[in-house]
Amino acid sequence: MEGNFGAQHQHRPSNKSPVGNQAGQRRRQQAVQIGKERREAVVRAKRLRRGDEIQNGEFTGSHDFHMEGDVSGTRDLEEKTLKAVQGLKEAAGATGKDAPRKKIEALRQVRGLLSSNASPPLSVAVQAGVVPVLVDCLAFGSSEEQLLEAAWSLTNIASGEHDLTRAVLPALPMLISHLGDKSSVAVAEQCAWAIGNVAGEGEEMRDILLSQGVLRPLARLMTSSSPSLARTASWAMSNLIKGPSPRAASDLMKTEGMPQVLVGQMMKGDDELLVELAWVMVYLTSMSDAHSGILVSVGLLTVLVNKLATSDSSALLTPILRCLGNIVAGDNAKTDAVLTAGGDVPGGIVGALARCLDMGHRNMQKEAAWAVSNIAAGSMLHKRMVFQGGAIPSLLHLLATAAFDVRKEAAYALGNVCVAPKAKGKEVEPIVEHLTVLVDRGCIPGFLALVKSPDMEAARLGLQFLELVMRGLPGGQGPKVVEKEDGIAAMEVLQFHENDELRLMANALIDKYFGEDYGLEEEYGSDVVDMMRNSEESSEYPPWRQGGVVHG
Amino acid sequence: MEEAEVKDRPEQTIRDFPRWIAARRKFSPDSPFFSAGNLERELQAKQVSLDITEEEKLAISRLEEEESLRLRCPIAGCGAILKSLSDLESHYTVRHTATCSVCSRVFPTTRLLNLHVSERHDSFFKAKVARNYPMYECLVETCALRFRSDSQRLQHLVDKHHFPKTFRFHTKKHLSQKQRRRQKQNVYKQPQAIQQLPKAESSHTLSKGTRASVDRSDPQETENRTQTSENISEDTATMDVDVLTKAVSKLSTQDNTPSNISFGRRRNRACTLPLKSPHKMTLAKEVDKKMNDST
Repeated sequence: MEGNFGAQHQHRPSNKSPVGNQAGQRRRQQAVQIGKERREAVVRAKRLRRGDEIQNGEFTGSHDFHMEGDVSGTRDLEEKTLKAVQGLKEAAGATGKDAPRKKIEALRQVRGLLSSNASPPLSVAVQAGVVPVLVDCLAFGSSEEQLLEAAWSLTNIASGEHDLTRAVLPALPMLISHLGDKSSVAVAEQCAWAIGNVAGEGEEMRDILLSQGVLRPLARLMTSSSPSLARTASWAMSNLIKGPSPRAASDLMKTEGMPQVLVGQMMKGDDELLVELAWVMVYLTSMSDAHSGILVSVGLLTVLVNKLATSDSSALLTPILRCLGNIVAGDNAKTDAVLTAGGDVPGGIVGALARCLDMGHRNMQKEAAWAVSNIAAGSMLHKRMVFQGGAIPSLLHLLATAAFDVRKEAAYALGNVCVAPKAKGKEVEPIVEHLTVLVDRGCIPGFLALVKSPDMEAARLGLQFLELVMRGLPGGQGPKVVEKEDGIAAMEVLQFHENDELRLMANALIDKYFGEDYGLEEEYGSDVVDMMRNSEESSEYPPWRQGGVVHG
Repeated sequence: MEEAEVKDRPEQTIRDFPRWIAARRKFSPDSPFFSAGNLERELQAKQVSLDITEEEKLAISRLEEEESLRLRCPIAGCGAILKSLSDLESHYTVRHTATCSVCSRVFPTTRLLNLHVSERHDSFFKAKVARNYPMYECLVETCALRFRSDSQRLQHLVDKHHFPKTFRFHTKKHLSQKQRRRQKQNVYKQPQAIQQLPKAESSHTLSKGTRASVDRSDPQETENRTQTSENISEDTATMDVDVLTKAVSKLSTQDNTPSNISFGRRRNRACTLPLKSPHKMTLAKEVDKKMNDST
């Protein structure tokens, strides 16, 4: 199977990039243009079913294979599709003892064409009127094979762009009813797949599905003993509850026994199923703290923490990490629960998160740093656990070397560790011990880089940390270390920034910590400084004329 | 009153610096914060079924990232839109790093650099200011107004262009410790003429001061020398000129006799005394001449 759509491999010399050498290199090496439709097909939450994949990436059940870029091949395919739909229509209307078999043949023909390559002729088929026929083929009492073929074609049609998905609307009631426990595993799975694609279209579709009663039967399928069915149903469910409306998620959580059952399924399921269930958890935990609370109470954390500490699969770690991130974004009690659950693994939750920070995977670094920053936004105990738990070296390394969005998250985490929790009515105090260590370990250049970045949030963050350092470091060391790293120049650049607040902040810091007399007292002694001060009051005589012996 | 107006605008001053407060940050599932992770999930799930090549993966990731960044150059008045962080960095280097050759300060536009150089390192600018010409241009390029003093211009920037009251075009040059140390050393290394004059940065007594009085160096030349030696702050340079001008003008009348004397009430009947030292007279005249030429 060729996947080469004319991509050219160009080797260009790697240029230095602010986001890290490798990233820049990668960006320059590829020269592929991505068509809008192609990109859409990849990015959207719908999934095409090609066939049953066997080891070497080849598909079984694919009818003909045509390269996408092959124009004559496409036209050929489209013609074949028209013919096949026509054939199906005829076969569907036929009677006689051979009719069912012929109908299945025709269905298979259509399905083969609609799953033949990465971009099958879906709209041609729909325009030819295939959907009503397919819906008819879903009638109760039809053979399993017929149901399967019809549902498969509908699945692929629903995996297309908006209009195509909408075209499948008439089939929904039948698809939903075939989720029931009387259906075979294969049929139920195929119908769940089609429904998942429809749910992935948007809120409107989701509402329609919910009103037609999809939730309960689909939830039941998530616990099927067939791994493949459970996986597909879970994926479909994640599309259904992703929101922004919280209704579906709430309905799911309210379904009796659902939280326990789902967590139980996570504990015994294989990793592939776990991935899809974890995504369901991602949406549940991000919808409301109440959901998180219930899930935590039925043991979700044990699974999450365990897998976080041991898995090496980014597909699994991503939703797990995000779940935990969502949970610790709640409140101190949640963070306590997470830290407690972490007691079961060596290194605790902070150690597990640090492992993710070190993995060299940009997205995981970002979300792990985010989770750490939320833990560090908790109580003194939480901050201490972050500080002592091994996250600091990793965070410092990221601050100095990682991609921009990762650096920003690392900055949040490091800064949060250095400020005490805000007590009511009082000013926020720096945690001097933590701050001193971070500064000693060379965190200032990283924050200065943020000050100089074009992102306003990052620049603001950088300035806030500098202020913390200059105010909080004992013995007046703060301004000195900032100056040593060329911090003044970095702040001076902000004086020309278009944003008022940043200009004011930069000016305030420079005025306060690097005012007129900065450094001179130390270097020249206070009597010189006094002399200078006097001379600046527009004295008629230059300082050297004013007398007084000065020893340098 | 305009002054009162400015004070009443609270957004123009920062009362309290917004300090770092550790707060939890929550994101909704459709937040752009998660889009990179979501994309990866789809790429992984559909790699086989959609025959996604590695190059396509990279292209799509890059496109998603570009869209989420939407980089705009933040320098006031620029507004350029860039496609990536590296593009932005090059844009910065090309368009916004005009460096002053005298004091190494960096400016985001050539125009601002030029204004800085005239206002800080040019004695003729100072001379014209002294003669009450409105030399201080408004920093906003499209505004053609000029002012007689830095503070007047600042007031205008605050009133008409909403600059913060704390804005300073001429902040003190904050040299790093290394630079200050080097400057101190340079001060000792340079010829005597210049050594006497920097603002209290060198340790010289009155005796050395008198030596300056017989120095013959042309103030203009001195200033050039000061300018080419790096690491001396611009304040020193301007101070040099000030001091030199004052010093030399004091020296032009060696015996401190006023050149015009008048007796009694008839003040307009003054007589000019001849100056005793023709050499010094020439020197003073040269300085005066040069100042006059600039107008």
